[in-house]
Amino acid sequence: MIFREVEDRDLIGKARRGNVEAYNLLVSRWEKRVFNYLLRLVGDREDALDLSQEAFLKAYQNLSKLEDAGRFAPWLFRIAHNEAFSLLRRRKPEGEPPLEPTGGTQSYRMFPIELSLAVESALARLSEDQREAVVLKIYQGFKFEEMAQILSCPVSTVKSRLYTALDLLKETLAPIQTRGVE
Amino acid sequence: MSCSPYDLKDYFLGELSEAERQQVQEHAQECRACREELDRLRLTQAALRALPEEEPPRRIAFVSDKVFAPGWWQRFWQSGSRLGFASAAMLSIAILGHALLRPPAVAPPGPPGSVAIEARISAEVAKQLEPVLARAIAESEARQAKQMIRLVAEAGQRMDFDRRADRVAFEEAFSVLQKKLNVMYTASANLGGRP
Repeated sequence: MIFREVEDRDLIGKARRGNVEAYNLLVSRWEKRVFNYLLRLVGDREDALDLSQEAFLKAYQNLSKLEDAGRFAPWLFRIAHNEAFSLLRRRKPEGEPPLEPTGGTQSYRMFPIELSLAVESALARLSEDQREAVVLKIYQGFKFEEMAQILSCPVSTVKSRLYTALDLLKETLAPIQTRGVE
Repeated sequence: MSCSPYDLKDYFLGELSEAERQQVQEHAQECRACREELDRLRLTQAALRALPEEEPPRRIAFVSDKVFAPGWWQRFWQSGSRLGFASAAMLSIAILGHALLRPPAVAPPGPPGSVAIEARISAEVAKQLEPVLARAIAESEARQAKQMIRLVAEAGQRMDFDRRADRVAFEEAFSVLQKKLNVMYTASANLGGRP
């Protein structure tokens, strides 16, 4: 992770000096993580891809505003978060449920159907804030402090959202996983 | 409610210091309830991680378009020549100040002041930035519009398909009903015709 940060710093420095290829390389290092974060927030692959592109474009245009190159990941995910919630807000007036499993999650079917459906359904039952906290911690491995920066809220709020979500998920998923293990 | 010295979720999620972790581990060895709670958390996390990470369907590639590259002024400002520029500007200001503070002899025309340089840079920045932003916004809007058109077309196709399916189903149901009526009519006629 430290090695990765050092390389990111180097690439960010080069990109700031106008080296487009360095930024391309930076994108290729982060695009999968950003795409999956957005996919689990918005539930649609095309939307997640469009949002990823917008996030990386905005990050590039604002690279000079990044004060500490060592904090690139939380800064980038903050931009992605803003893009995702902007889309979710636009969706709401149409009455479209934002996070129902869609065709975009078809590849989940490669896994045992009971567990896969249970996880999708359990995640879909969480509020947007709770689900995002789970995605950032469990799938993306951010620290509470970084999550607070991404979500622009105090650490106590981050913990509250995550712990409520974990309690809800635990009720549904732990028994199923136990059955699966047996 | 957990009896652990620290929150078990903090422990489980790796948010405790080494000393705090040690305390929780020692406690969990003695406390069955806390061990079971940690097991439930592990199972929950294992279930969640059963969902695989997906590869993006396409590479995210927009930076090859030069329009998105930082302008010459940004590159200049991020480069090492910034220091040279700052030194030159300070030197110019010092010379200018010296010239102004000296008792006026025959005042030679001084170098252009920093205000003029800043004004020129601002004008150049605005000139470079506006078309780039306008193009980026236009492209983003075009993309959104294209997606909207696609969605509307898809919805139309779906509705049309549903309508046709409904019509076929209705015709089939009507045909079956008609056949039943014919059978009943025939049966009724046969019964009525008997002595």
